[in-house]
Amino acid sequence: MWQIIKNEWSSFYRDRVLLGVFSSFLILLSITVSLGSIHVEHQNTHHASSSEHIRDKWENIQEMNPHSAAHYGTYVFKPTTLLSGLDDGVSNITGNVLKVEGHVQNEIVHSEASQSQAVSKFGKLKSALLLQYIVPIFLIFLSFQTINGEKLSGRLKLLIAQGASSSKIIFSKALSVWVIGLMLLLVTVFMYLLLNLGAINYDTILRLSFFIISYSLYYFIIAFLTTLLSISFNNTSTALTSMLAVWVVWTIFLPNILMSTVESQHELPSRDIFKSNMKEDRSKGIDGHSPSSDRLVALREKVLKDYGVDSLSQLSINFRGIVMQEDEEYGNKVWDKHFGNLRTVLKNQKKSYQLGGIINPFIALQNTSKGFAASDNLHHQDFLVQVENYRRVFVRTLNNKDAYGGSKTGERGWKADNAFFKSVPDFVFKPLKIMKVFKDYVFDLAILIIWVLVITLLLINKSKRIPIV
Amino acid sequence: MIKINNASISFKEKPALSNLSLEVKPGEILGLLGANGAGKSTTINMLLGFLKSGEGDVSINQLDCYDERAQVRRLVGYIPENVNLYPYLSGEENLDYFCKISGIEYASSELKNFLEKCGLPLKDHSKKISEYSKGMRQKVGIAIAYAKKAKVYLLDEPSSGLDPMASNELTILLKELAKEGASILMASHDIFRVREVCDRIGILKQGKLMKELKSKAITANQLEKLYLNFMKD
Repeated sequence: MWQIIKNEWSSFYRDRVLLGVFSSFLILLSITVSLGSIHVEHQNTHHASSSEHIRDKWENIQEMNPHSAAHYGTYVFKPTTLLSGLDDGVSNITGNVLKVEGHVQNEIVHSEASQSQAVSKFGKLKSALLLQYIVPIFLIFLSFQTINGEKLSGRLKLLIAQGASSSKIIFSKALSVWVIGLMLLLVTVFMYLLLNLGAINYDTILRLSFFIISYSLYYFIIAFLTTLLSISFNNTSTALTSMLAVWVVWTIFLPNILMSTVESQHELPSRDIFKSNMKEDRSKGIDGHSPSSDRLVALREKVLKDYGVDSLSQLSINFRGIVMQEDEEYGNKVWDKHFGNLRTVLKNQKKSYQLGGIINPFIALQNTSKGFAASDNLHHQDFLVQVENYRRVFVRTLNNKDAYGGSKTGERGWKADNAFFKSVPDFVFKPLKIMKVFKDYVFDLAILIIWVLVITLLLINKSKRIPIV
Repeated sequence: MIKINNASISFKEKPALSNLSLEVKPGEILGLLGANGAGKSTTINMLLGFLKSGEGDVSINQLDCYDERAQVRRLVGYIPENVNLYPYLSGEENLDYFCKISGIEYASSELKNFLEKCGLPLKDHSKKISEYSKGMRQKVGIAIAYAKKAKVYLLDEPSSGLDPMASNELTILLKELAKEGASILMASHDIFRVREVCDRIGILKQGKLMKELKSKAITANQLEKLYLNFMKD
């Protein structure tokens, strides 16, 4: 078996056209790896300087009323994960700046796509684009040629007459093509590691390992399925056309068809409906700026009772801070309800879309690729939740200062000092742990493994019955 | 020893071989003459275990050619009409590769000996196959079978397209192999070469063995007449 694989590589090495194509791929992948790495570094530098600038502005508030500060707010920047240089997933379109303030949960804005002059259907030129779309085509042509070349020249018959089994020849050839795909993949990952050596940690290594495993499994499926089709059809052009048709269906049609089906099955509310529903629910809470609201009256009575006084002017605290926090708590419940529903729909969409991998392993690959590169919607949602949790701490700190910081009800001109603003915690992003991500993508990995097993069994079966004459 | 007893093969109900019986003893060369589609290649494919005879027995050294094809292929050296080797490898590298495929590993000096024995001069051993003539490739093909220490040689139109000199060298080589005890079955439509190389000649027509005769008992012209008569009917 090893002899056949060695001979395949030797033929590949000596074929100037194939070597030229392989070298071009290496150059292209090197370019995309470098660009991806530079992009991540640039984003992180920009992110760090922007965060520093915003924090600096916050910490330099000399004196300000806490409620005014809650409206003044701050900004949180979405960090660019290291591996998004390999696969930027949804990062390009989800935005990366979020304003954190009282009363409202703002939407994330400033996506890269919205600021890009040239928008490509396939997204930015990232390594994943080449690894997912172009390298498989190269493997299809290589696998197709390797078996058909032997069949048409009569060497397959000569090799079998020489004592090699047809299964051994066919498997060796498919394996040799698979290893070429692996080489392109490993060179890409290795280069990326080298360029980002300082930023690599245990979590990144694990993520990269799963990233490599996913692509390895997919390349195996491509190389072995092409081989299977090339030995199944007598007509060589039919075999090649069939495999190219499979590639087109897998990579272009099925992902779109399945996504549309999943979206109609688990429908998300339109932006307008979502916003108006949120607004309607929000209006049922305390309106901190409208003293006549029923809920506000009830809260005032409760606070007066708790403090054992008859009027707000007798309170030792600022009632407005309590009202604002109560309003926030209600707003948080509304947010949890609506965004919780939204996340449930997104989760259901993801689960249903994952099932698409059963008929299309490309979907499983895309899922694992962006999942392990931390650039998928799951990571994005996690970031949004972390920001919302921070917003709650941020606003609560300001409201508590407003209520219990020393001012009395009606003292609108009261201001907190600089030491307080410095003490308000900054946003600290906690990246998702790989084991959490693994749980979400183990299904896709399992699907890829099942595809590998099924195609291997089919090829074993077919290679034993391949007509030599 | 090759033994075919009453073998028949049909493709889509059209008979390709009908009740074929023949025997090639060690040290013997049998030539199969016949037009295209007469059943020569089918006979060789059947002996190589690529086709199963519908009835009768087909064996090499008492091993069933289909059921025990893995063992049979270890004993057989097959030389097709066009020995298509790997063009990017040299003659020696091709020989080395095919030997390794059959599980045998030789030193470079031994590989060179095999190639020289089969008529390929030393200066050509390291040339790429893409620079070889058909005759030179044929010699490497024979060296592959020879290095395998084959007991049985199956040659399918080996002299087709060879120049007279290469064809003559092939004759000498096959006779030497037979002298060493090999059983050789050679399918061809080259009447004169078959008469020169083979001990016995069988004439195949539409899958049937029409006639079997000793080559010494007949002149080339008589054989040609006989062959043409069979083809006319």
